[in-house]
Amino acid sequence: MARASTTSDVFNAVADVHRREILDALITGEKPVGAIVNDLSMSQPQVSKHLRVLSEVGLVRCRAEGRQRLYRLEPAPLRPLHEWLARYERAINERLDRLDDYLRDLQGRDDES
Amino acid sequence: MKGTRGGSATVEFPSDREVLVTRQFDAPAELVFDALTKPEHVRMWFGAKELEVCEIDLRVGGKYHYVGFVMDGDTATCSFRGTYLEIERPVRLLGTWVFDGRPDAEAMETTELREDDGITTMTDRLAFKDQATRDSMIWVAADGVHADEGGQVALDRLEDYLATSAAAKGSDEQ
Repeated sequence: MARASTTSDVFNAVADVHRREILDALITGEKPVGAIVNDLSMSQPQVSKHLRVLSEVGLVRCRAEGRQRLYRLEPAPLRPLHEWLARYERAINERLDRLDDYLRDLQGRDDES
Repeated sequence: MKGTRGGSATVEFPSDREVLVTRQFDAPAELVFDALTKPEHVRMWFGAKELEVCEIDLRVGGKYHYVGFVMDGDTATCSFRGTYLEIERPVRLLGTWVFDGRPDAEAMETTELREDDGITTMTDRLAFKDQATRDSMIWVAADGVHADEGGQVALDRLEDYLATSAAAKGSDEQ
């Protein structure tokens, strides 16, 4: 399973643009593979392959209804990604908040003159 | 003076190889542009500590070079440099962006300013050559933390963080 390491975490799962498109397609609700194929310009085997990766990391869940298998989005595993982004945003913000404060100081001086 | 917009910058990944930061400032675009491009201004805010080097030759083909200290480091410095390719004061600045620890990971940086009712919206877009390069440089682009080890530590840090957060899962609702 050489691919295991590349598909076993959420970061890698959402690094692929096609998999992100599938997640987007599922935001509006549960869908069978056929509906996802219709929504996106991907073949059924491609969609099935990506759904397998997304299922492995827990981002989609599948249930059977009659002969159909329905897929739905499971957003909870995105949380570490969200938190990581929040940390990155804080680091960016520290710098830009200093620029903001500095711009205010500059304009305060301008008002006095 | 403390602003009221603290912490309001947003980060997006518009494509696999880009990082886009957006932030508003209560200042005219001319002033923001100068604060980004005049050394006497940049020195006042760019680094968490005073910059060791801050050289800016603001003309097309001109170069800039900043050397600062990493925020949680002791003696380590990080050095950024680049060449200005397009200058359109006060709305647009395009140039190369190079971190000296990873000269292979050059990016194109586009800074755009749009003033509306005295409020200037800045967008800063870094475009790397590919996704792997962007992902390995993202923390360096943010604050230079761990820049001394060439960005690799950023990925290790992410990995450690994921491990910790997986361990703490379910017990950290705030």
